[in-house]
Amino acid sequence: MATLIADPGATHKDAPGRRWTMIWLNRKLIAGGLMIGAIVLLGIIGRLIWDTDLARVASSPLNLPPFWLEGGTLDHPLGTENSGRDMLALIVTGAPATLRVGLIVGLVSISLGILLGFTGGYLGGWPDYVIRILSDTALTIPTLAILIVISSYVREIDVTTMALIVAIFAWAGPTRVIRAQVLTLREQGYVRMARISGLSTFDIMFKEMMPNLLPYLAASFVGSASGGILAAVGLEALGLGPQRIPTLGMTIYYALEGSAILRGMWWWWGAPTLILVIVFIGFFLITIGLDEIANPRLRGGDK
Amino acid sequence: MSEPENATPRKVLEVKDLRVHYATPRGEVIAVNGVGFDVYRGETLGLVGESGCGKSTTAMAILRLVQPPGRIVEGQVTLDGTDMLALGERRLRDVRWQKISLIPQGSMNSLNPVMRIRDQIADGIETHQGRQPRSVLKARIGELLDLVHLPGRVADMYPHELSGGMKQRVCIAMAIALDLSLIIADEPTSALEVVVQRVVAETLLEVKGRLGVSMILIGHDMGLQAQLVDRIAVMYAGNIVEIAPVKALFAAPQHPYTQRLIASVPSIRERKPLIVSEERTPDLRQPRPTPVLRQVAPGHLVAEAADV
Repeated sequence: MATLIADPGATHKDAPGRRWTMIWLNRKLIAGGLMIGAIVLLGIIGRLIWDTDLARVASSPLNLPPFWLEGGTLDHPLGTENSGRDMLALIVTGAPATLRVGLIVGLVSISLGILLGFTGGYLGGWPDYVIRILSDTALTIPTLAILIVISSYVREIDVTTMALIVAIFAWAGPTRVIRAQVLTLREQGYVRMARISGLSTFDIMFKEMMPNLLPYLAASFVGSASGGILAAVGLEALGLGPQRIPTLGMTIYYALEGSAILRGMWWWWGAPTLILVIVFIGFFLITIGLDEIANPRLRGGDK
Repeated sequence: MSEPENATPRKVLEVKDLRVHYATPRGEVIAVNGVGFDVYRGETLGLVGESGCGKSTTAMAILRLVQPPGRIVEGQVTLDGTDMLALGERRLRDVRWQKISLIPQGSMNSLNPVMRIRDQIADGIETHQGRQPRSVLKARIGELLDLVHLPGRVADMYPHELSGGMKQRVCIAMAIALDLSLIIADEPTSALEVVVQRVVAETLLEVKGRLGVSMILIGHDMGLQAQLVDRIAVMYAGNIVEIAPVKALFAAPQHPYTQRLIASVPSIRERKPLIVSEERTPDLRQPRPTPVLRQVAPGHLVAEAADV
């Protein structure tokens, strides 16, 4: 009988961790990660080598262009705006604040999504019914309109508060996605076997099922993080963001208010816009990169 | 290979008048209609019948795993003196896997794709016996894998690295991880190719013999049943219509359905005409009497044909 047993050694050599090494081979994921990483580094290193006090009003000369243009100076390499803030300092302080909004919104919405999605999907019955109705309702609410109302009531707003306000409306999407995945996963043989073998509901949800959903959770996290940044920047561009902290969105708002476009001060709105574009493209690449890992059918033949 | 020799063999499992109904929009489907049988220590009982005859539902009811819309309407399932149907959820969890375990239909998706085999086996053990030192657990898992003729390195592998037969043997190893009294194997070889089927079946039998446990083997492959089991119970439309030691059943099948079932096994020596029964499976929603089993030979019970 022993001769009939197939030798698994052949497949074993290259097998362990193949799925995980493959992640690092996904170009979109690498590119996206590098872009976000660059912004994070900008925040960390910039703080060390550049004086962030220059982000304060009247700390520098007004309306200087970037250094390579006529009249620019290396003291303010990216120029200054019309109330005397240094653009480089604005970006160095604004970019991390923007990423922090994304992080908070992502974490809050994915945690709520996991909690509600798993509860509804796995337990079924009336908890599922309630969660489904709530999330469906939340999905149909035009978020920005309500955020505008809330933000205009909360006057003294800081980055964290704003992130939390945005997160209130960001949980419905992840909840729906996770619940749908849990529903299909619940019927898998190994989940049934885990139930038979006496594992507790908590263990089944988080030890057996959750690891199977990690790529989905990661993609969902990144998706709601960038969605959160978008909503926050939208509020800020309308002037409803934090007044004291120079976030990227607020800088764009001041640029619009200071007629930067008419006055040809492209560096004023251009610099924060560029950073935001890099952030969004970076998040987008990470999301589709993770999608390809979660769903092999999306993988192109270009590897 | 026949019934236990001693006069009063110990009953491991006693099922009496088990009834399972499924609620459907078009009425209650009576899936199991008063089934009763015993399983003795060390014995293998085959449970055969066509798809939808209630054999899997019977097994699920014994494990108390019937899911809504199904429900156990009445009956008695006694495992090692414990009334399974009266147990609370907590006690039930203890009994399942400790005393009775399941080798599922289709091992392909019965293993968690993102967990190593070692962790999956360990989970079952630790759930019931508490945390254990790594070395103890490792030795135990090695033993279990050895018992089902898998090399020890399988423990560190993921399910996708194993073949279908190997996965099924891992499932067997998981099912026997604890010191139990009854294994229910639900068509354990149905998704496998014949050679692997044979290896898995032999592993199953060998493991069963070594551990001295009893087994219920569910299936429709009469050839496989003939080789593996001690007694066969034939189910038809939710009822047991014939139950007998395997030799007696194949030598002298009494019930018309059993006769047709045995005749349906293709033979290499003669070309038999294909008999397609005109009868359809009866409407399972119709309440029907539970057939009375009549003893025709020692241990050979048959239902009156007219009753079904």
